[in-house]
Amino acid sequence: MAVLPELGLVRSSDLDEVLAAVGHDYAPYAGGTELVPATGLGLRRPAVIVDLKRVDALKGIEVDAGAGSVTIGAAVTHRRLSDHPVVREHLPTLAAAASHVGNARVRSTGTVGGNLCFAEPRSDLGCVLLALGATADVRSATGARTLGIDELIVGAFETSLAEDEILTTVTVPFEPAGMSYWKLQSYERPTLGVALVVSDSQWEVTVGAATERPTRIVLAAGDTAGLADFVGGLELSDDMTGPPDYKRSVLRAHLQRALGAAA
Amino acid sequence: MLVPVRLTVAELLRDRLGLTGTKVSCEMQVCGVCTVLVDGDPVSSCATLACDLDGTEVLTVEGLARGRDLHPVQEAFMDANALQCGFCTPGFIMMAVALLDAHPDADQAEVREWMDGNLCRCTGYDPIETAVTVAASRLAAATAEDGQ
Ligand SMILES: Cc1cc2nc3c(=O)[nH]c(=O)nc-3n(C[C@H](O)[C@H](O)[C@H](O)COP(=O)(O)OP(=O)(O)OC[C@H]3O[C@@H](n4cnc5c(N)ncnc54)[C@H](O)[C@@H]3O)c2cc1C
Ligand code: FES
Ligand code: FES
Repeated sequence: MAVLPELGLVRSSDLDEVLAAVGHDYAPYAGGTELVPATGLGLRRPAVIVDLKRVDALKGIEVDAGAGSVTIGAAVTHRRLSDHPVVREHLPTLAAAASHVGNARVRSTGTVGGNLCFAEPRSDLGCVLLALGATADVRSATGARTLGIDELIVGAFETSLAEDEILTTVTVPFEPAGMSYWKLQSYERPTLGVALVVSDSQWEVTVGAATERPTRIVLAAGDTAGLADFVGGLELSDDMTGPPDYKRSVLRAHLQRALGAAA
Repeated sequence: MLVPVRLTVAELLRDRLGLTGTKVSCEMQVCGVCTVLVDGDPVSSCATLACDLDGTEVLTVEGLARGRDLHPVQEAFMDANALQCGFCTPGFIMMAVALLDAHPDADQAEVREWMDGNLCRCTGYDPIETAVTVAASRLAAATAEDGQ
């Protein structure tokens, strides 16, 4: 078995104590589904890990009926997200996507924050949350800021978080009518994910998993030329699940079926 | 018990406690042979830190039988011939226990969804699906009897 290097641990239920600890060599972690294997493989080398999952302030799921949004703590697991009545009612597409993440073990330990902050391109949540117009609340010991998902996830395995910052919550507007999420998946992570929000006037298309980071475009309904440009211009990954051309064909076929339009 | 932070649950169970029913293979959270239950939730013991068990209840395959009486899921795996080499079996059984504790009335789709993250290279999966379904109906019958 791969043996992990020596590690220190900071554990607290208090957000301020955790924020005071996070920094260079002091990596936040929650479920550890990415951090533990990555540390075992030597891809990450934290000296100390700072446990977020016992911080109450990071585990809430709260609805704001006035604003029409749900605020989800970064340390909420995929299982809690998908089973939560508020999420199922107001964010059914997100709940369904979370219920199909990885496998049952990943869903019981992996968290929303860990998914977004690891920024592995082959993610469902990043794509769905970008499509929903979610915002990410970020804190450090000295400040707070709010980012769009596309400002948080800036590249493959790359976020705009500073070393002393953590994601605390994600605020998600209620799901609009006409939303869907579809994914192609043959191994444990998605190969291609497509979130759509379709109305009489607009096509909002968000593509993830095969792109470095989730990528969104808003088109006038019926703008097939614009759709074809968007699909043609996407840089798609080349990996064991297939070359870019294959993924583009699948994407076109899905859009054609879902929108009734040639892309 | 004091454990170093770097110790995984699988290492704790197998190397320190001598509980070798829990297996280890991929160490990537993909194969499921290392599945144990923490507060009822299935986790990959290969990628979970032992220090995270602090304050939780852990169930491994060793904890299922009551004396010589096997757990209904274990019985069903034998009856349905749901094992050949047996390497994957503890993981499948623990996943099935987690499923049936959470969803005693699990339908075929739920069984597949939960078992999807466990790999078997021998059986072809059909007997495993049968075993879980049989266990579910036996547990339901037992619960109905208790209720009378
Ligand atoms: C086998 C497998 C299959 C998977 N399949 C899918 C899939 O189908 N779809 C999908 O979307 N995802 C999938 N995933 C990814 C999964 O969703 C993530 O592994 C999980 O959500 C990560 O959460 P965690 O709490 O375990 O993260 P950790 O491993 O604890 O942390 C991951 C990284 O994020 C950092 N971090 C964690 N939380 C925060 C925070 N709040 N603020 C700042 N930084 C933070 C850590 O420092 C670390 O670098 C899969 C993963 C595995 C292992
Ligand atoms: S050894 Fe843990 S999932 Fe394969
Ligand atoms: S019985 Fe041999 S791997 Fe499943």
